[in-house]
Formats: sequence, C-alpha cells, structure tokens
Amino acid sequence: MKTIRYIIVFAIALLFAQNSFAKYYAPKDSAADYYSVENIPLPDGLIAETGAIGFMPDGRFIACFHRGEIMTYNRKTKKWKLFAEGLHDPLGILVVNDREILIMQRPELTRIRDTDGDGVADDYETVTDDFGLSGNYHEFAFGPVADKQGNLYIALNLASNGAGIRKEIRGKYDSLSRPGRMYSCVPYRGWIMKLTKDGKLHPYAVGFRSPNSLGFDAQGRLFVSDNQGDWLGTSKLFHVEEGKFYGHPAGLIWKEDFPRVVPITLPVAKLDSMRTKESFQFPHGYFANSPTQPIWDNTKGKFGPFAGQMIVGDMDHKYVMRILPEEVGGALQGACIPMNFGSKMRIGNNRLVFAPDGSLWVGQNDHGWAGSRGIQHISWKGKTHLDIMAMNLTKTGFDLTFTLPLNEEAAKDLANYKFKRFYYEYHQAYGSKQFDVQDVPVKSIKLSADRKKVSLELAEMKAGYVYELRTGDIKTNDEKYLFNNLICYSLNKLRD
Amino acid sequence: MLKPVLSIKLRFLCLILFLCSAYYPLSAQQDTTIVIKVLGGLQFDLPRFAVKPNTRVTITLDNHDDMAHNLVVTQPNSRVKVVDDALKLAEKGAKMDYVPNSPLVIAHTKILDPGRMESITFLVDKEGTYPYVCTYPGHGYVMYGAMYVTTKPLPPIEKDLNVPEAHRQKTGAMTGHAGHQMAAPSPHPYPLKYPLHYRTFMPDCGPAAIAVALTETESYCFDAGKCYLRYAWSGGFVDNSEQWKGNGSKLTKIVGDVYWRDNTGFPFKVGTIDNTPEVHFKGYHFTNRLPTFRYLLNTIEVKETLTLLPNGAGLSRTFTFKNNKQSLFFVTKADDGITYKSSVGKFDNGILKIPAGTQKVTLTMKK
Repeated sequence: MKTIRYIIVFAIALLFAQNSFAKYYAPKDSAADYYSVENIPLPDGLIAETGAIGFMPDGRFIACFHRGEIMTYNRKTKKWKLFAEGLHDPLGILVVNDREILIMQRPELTRIRDTDGDGVADDYETVTDDFGLSGNYHEFAFGPVADKQGNLYIALNLASNGAGIRKEIRGKYDSLSRPGRMYSCVPYRGWIMKLTKDGKLHPYAVGFRSPNSLGFDAQGRLFVSDNQGDWLGTSKLFHVEEGKFYGHPAGLIWKEDFPRVVPITLPVAKLDSMRTKESFQFPHGYFANSPTQPIWDNTKGKFGPFAGQMIVGDMDHKYVMRILPEEVGGALQGACIPMNFGSKMRIGNNRLVFAPDGSLWVGQNDHGWAGSRGIQHISWKGKTHLDIMAMNLTKTGFDLTFTLPLNEEAAKDLANYKFKRFYYEYHQAYGSKQFDVQDVPVKSIKLSADRKKVSLELAEMKAGYVYELRTGDIKTNDEKYLFNNLICYSLNKLRD
Repeated sequence: MLKPVLSIKLRFLCLILFLCSAYYPLSAQQDTTIVIKVLGGLQFDLPRFAVKPNTRVTITLDNHDDMAHNLVVTQPNSRVKVVDDALKLAEKGAKMDYVPNSPLVIAHTKILDPGRMESITFLVDKEGTYPYVCTYPGHGYVMYGAMYVTTKPLPPIEKDLNVPEAHRQKTGAMTGHAGHQMAAPSPHPYPLKYPLHYRTFMPDCGPAAIAVALTETESYCFDAGKCYLRYAWSGGFVDNSEQWKGNGSKLTKIVGDVYWRDNTGFPFKVGTIDNTPEVHFKGYHFTNRLPTFRYLLNTIEVKETLTLLPNGAGLSRTFTFKNNKQSLFFVTKADDGITYKSSVGKFDNGILKIPAGTQKVTLTMKK
C-alpha cells in the first residue's frame, strides 16, 4: 500500500515538474515551426554524393551524382529514372528543356540530349573543352550559369600541391605558379570563363581558388563563392565582373600582359592593391566552412518573406546563408545571416534549387570531405517568423529591418545587441586568424514608428572590418523570437 | 629506536609488485613511434594501430594535405564529445588549436598548416580503444582513427566501427577478374548493361578519357582529348573504387589484360605522311548503348564506332569522313601484335592510305 501511495505522489509530482519544465525550457521559437524538412527517398544502390540539381520544365527533378549518374525524380510517383550515365564527377547542371541539359564535368561542358524521345539521353556533345586539365584531383569544374543574353559562365578550380599532375595533360603547361599551395599549371585554372553564343570560351575574371560555385542574383549580377585557404583568410562570396582579379594569385599567369614572375613572389601589398575585394566574408568555422552554390529566391513569396534575396549553402552547417547586399561607394558589400530550417536539415548542402512550387531542394555531398549525402526538400509552412530582412550601413552604425514589428522594450534594450569587429588578413598562408578583435558598444537605439526598423549608433565604424552582431532576446509582442541571431556585415567601405 | 619506514605488510606488497613488474613483461614500459600522414579527403593514412599497455607513444603528424589539421588523442568513447566541444569553442577555437579544455583529451598537436609536422608523446597504461581525431571544424566526424591499447588481436577492419567508413568498406569493384564470370554487384542503382562507358581518369591516357566495355570482358580506352583509341583489353572492364573514393585523385584501374596499345602517338595524318592534324573532340552518340565518337582532324569531320570482331578476335573500327578533300593516312606500328585489314585502300609499310573523298572505312584489328 505504502509503495502505491509513493508511486502516485511521485507521478503527480512528475507531471507538475514536466509541465513547468516545458514552460521554462522549451525553445521560445524555432525554425522548425516555420519550415518543414523532408528527406527524398533514394533508389537502392545510389551513392548520393550530389553534384548538381535542377528542375525540368515538366516538373521532374533532376540530379547528378559522383559516380556519373544523372537521374530524374517524379515527385508524384516517387520514382527515379536514369537519364544519362558515365560522367566524370559532374558538379554543375543547367536544364535546357525536358529532353536536354548541360552538364559541367571534369573534362568538359557537355550538352546531353534525348534525341529519340525514349526518356534516356543518347547524345553527348562537347560544348567546350577549351581549358587545361593537368589531371590534378583538385581541378574541379563548376557551373554553368546563364546570363540574360544567353552567355554561359563556368568556374575552374586551381590544382593542389597535395597531389601531382598526370604525365599526359591537356593544354599548355606552365610551371610559373607551381610554387605555393594551389597552382595553375594549365590555362585558365583559377578563372571564371565566359562561353559566348559562338561557342568560344573567353577568360572572364581571375583570382579564384575553389569557386564552388556560381550564381546570378535577381538583378543579374554574377556571384561566385570561394573557400578559405591560401590567400583566403576566410570563405567569401565575390561579386564578379569582367577583367577583375579577386585575390588568389596563381591564375594570374594566364592574364594577358602579366609579367613573367612567380605570382606569389609579388609583394602582398602589390597583390592587395590589384585585387577587388569580396562583397561578403563568412567567418570561418562557426559561421561557414565551405560555402557552396548561390541562388536567388525566385518564388515570389512561396518560400517565405525573402523573395528576391540570395542564399548560399555550406558544407559544414545545417543551414543556408542569406545574403543582404547593398551598394556602398560604388561596390557591393553587406551582411550574411544563417537561415535555419530546423534540426532535420543535414550538413553537406552543396547544391540548391527552388522547385516550381516554391519549395527549396538541397543536394548534399561530402566528396571525401565533411558533409553528408542525399537530397532534402524544404518547404515553408506559411507563417512569417521574426528575422532580419535587411542590414544597411549608415554613417554612424547600422539599420536593421525586421520581418515583423518588434516589442519595443526588447528592441530598445542595449543588451540585445553585441557587436564586435575584426579582420582577416590577406596573405599567402592558409586561412587567417581574426585580427584586432574588439567589442564595439552600441551607443543608441532608435525604433521606427512601425517598429520594424532599428537604427543602431555604434561607438566606432571602421572600414576593412567584419562587423559581427549577436542578438539577444529580440521579440515581437506576440512572443516570436529572433532565432537566427548571428549576422556578419563585411564593411569594406564606409558611407560618405 | 628507528621505526621501519614501511610496515611489514606494505613491504610485502611492494615485493610482490616489484616481482610482478620484473617478471610480467607486458608491464615493462616501452616506447613506440608512429608516423601518421594526412591523405587528401579528410583521412589519416593510418586508420588504426595497436600498442601494448604501458607504452610511451610518440605520434608524429605529417600534414601534406591542402588544409590545416590537428590530431587529438581522446579517452575511449569520447571522440564525438571532444569534437562537439571543439565546435562549441566557436570563434575562440582557432586560438586554442580547436582543442577543448577537457579531461577527455589525452594529448594533441597544434593546428598544423599544410606542409608542417609535429610530434606528441604520451603514456598509455590502461587497455582500451583510444580514438585519435582531427578537431578542426568540420573534420572530426570523418577524420579519425583508433589506437588500440591491447595485447589481443584486432577485429577485422571491415567490421571495426572505430575506423571511418571509408577504411571499412571495399567499394564496389566492378567486374570479376578474367575467367571469373561472377556477376559483381552494380555500383549504381541499376543493373549494369553492356556496352557500358565511364568518363574517368584512365591510366596511360590523357586526363579526358572514356573507358568503354563492349561486353563484360572486352574493353577499350578512347582519349577524348587527343581523339584516338589508346588501348584495348580483355578479361574485364574497370575498377573505379579508388577513383570514386573521396576527391577522385586516384586513377581507375583496368581489370583484365591490355592486348594492344596505339604506339604511334597519333594515327591519322592529313595530306602528307608527316602532317599531324589539329584535333577537336566533339562528343559521342549512343545507338543501343554503343558509342560513336565525333571529332575533327583539322576541318575533317570524323565519326568512329568500335565493335567486337566475332569470337572476341579483336576490334572493328568504322570511320566515316566529311570534308576530307585530301588523302588521309592511318599509321600503324608493325610490332604491336595486331593484324590490320581495311575495307578501303592498302597498307604500305604499316601505313594505310585513304583516298580523298572516301566516306567510310572499316578497319579490323585482329589479335
């Protein structure tokens, strides 16, 4: 009898405890309330190292994988079907129509067509192989992406001195950039190339290390991500324009009129003065490790409140990153902020594409590095969460624009805005530590009449720094909390 | 009177311990040095090793990768915890070599930039399986190994969950060896059908290569950069397991025996016997899975289809030409063990002359 009584008392106590525990410790608000993440079933025997993904006009999803398969997936029947095979590490796709795609594989850009209409490709046409191939494993190739005029852009990785080159290579050999970690010993390694409609491949911009990969934003501007390493203190996203040099010197040897010098022997200050800075820096490790494909949200609101904005994946984090560019002093710069979808999201987010229904599909990869394998499908549940819509530089600080009106007290609480600033050094060594790390106090806060915009005045604004903001319990009046609470602004230039 | 420093009992115990240490050789301290290199693709070259209890272990980490790495030895069953703790260091991580302050860490190197090495020395006394791992952000979930402190035999590596998956699995070797017609499991999500092809890094070929299996046992390699047939082999197709592992640095392996190689450098000449044309690879078309290659010799459009001669006696190569306003020469080497025959023109000293305007030539290559 006694035991039973104990059990009952204990059970009741437990009920109360759980109740109060739930109230106290349940997350105040979480990404999983706003987005659902679903794993796409994969066919048996597929090693789903996803190299690229897309959608055919008829609605079929299409993906290519490391072992050279290109497969389509019908979402209604949940059936996978082989479209093409035998490709060499395909890492890029551009869908042309229901029967035709372009694939970037290691040795070439290939047009793959189903000419007889049986649903399986039968023709593989070399669109361009007019670039060098030393056989070094690190010479991955990315793209293509098309501009509004129909020109195509591809990106060519540098080789790595972690491995050699083949006895037989393709393209003219030049050993000039072999000293150093990453090198360009055949033409246009380290370049973005432009393929014009006449089929000619032109060098477009130089200075890349491992540009995985490229994308246009809603305004038709070309963005290319690149990975932390030698000459990249941290991972970056570049706004790429013709003829410019973006920092990794190895590819310079293929630039017309470039003198016959070993690029890394040039003074760093000289190289620094030649380069165009990145628009966005992703702090290494805790923010991003290996940024991947940039795409823009063309869903007109079907994927939430960020229509028209750009997102970029990352190999090591369970989120994508939202990019908030603005033009300051004639160049693009701005902020990046994680975009969480909940804990079901995996890492290895190599490729992104928006489906016709406005959901986001993610192709995951590891490729011998950190990551995961498979395909996930993310949809927005239709409720707007509290997030930072825009971060704009002012003369004295930043304006933050939110998706929803804020609770005034929380919005005006100085403790809810912790800024620090630091910079990564441009140098030959692999990566960079954060230099001159300093907290930057917020001096004053103004909230707009509609309670959606916070104007922050900072103690000091200095160009050439990343301004990193961690926010506290910023919330709405109906208890929605800001859960994407780390945002990094690359302050290349100050407002005049 | 002086008291004994130790009681009789304790003295006796000491004696036993001393005897044990002297006569039980396993407890004698030993020194071992292990060199661990970093392979590309987040792997230590050594997935595991064993030492006896009570060993002073020196591990030298030799980092020849393109990335920075460290090596952290942890207490048994603590790898994931240490990796997670390292991640939580966030922006403080870099300064701390991504090593958390934790009793679970036994020893660690600094973060080593590419090309650097460092040795660490520590004592392991107790039996157990001690993980070693790179705690650089993102690496720890794949880049690790196991130090067994034991005198017992180790479990078979393919079943050893203490080593990364890449070291456990022998990824799908393609076809069986010569004479072995066992159906190997397909490395794809569908059964293999022949002819079958892969674009991959092939040995003895340019980096743009196409391997084709006409049947399970008859295969060839076409150079899609230099635009010519490089070699042919019998007995199987290819083993891509190394090439597909990780970042694709290793070459595909030929399964079987190469019976012929083109030793001419490039077989076609245009107009005159010493005029090597400029080539461009244009692609390939499949008819019932059989590829036809397209390429240019200067401005001459060529299509080439390879089939098997009956009974596996060799290859038949059918060429079609367009814009061949000059004669073409097809050069062979007499000592390559092959008998050549052509449907058009004549061989003279191993050189076939194909008259201008010829539309189609079938060349047989008998083993």
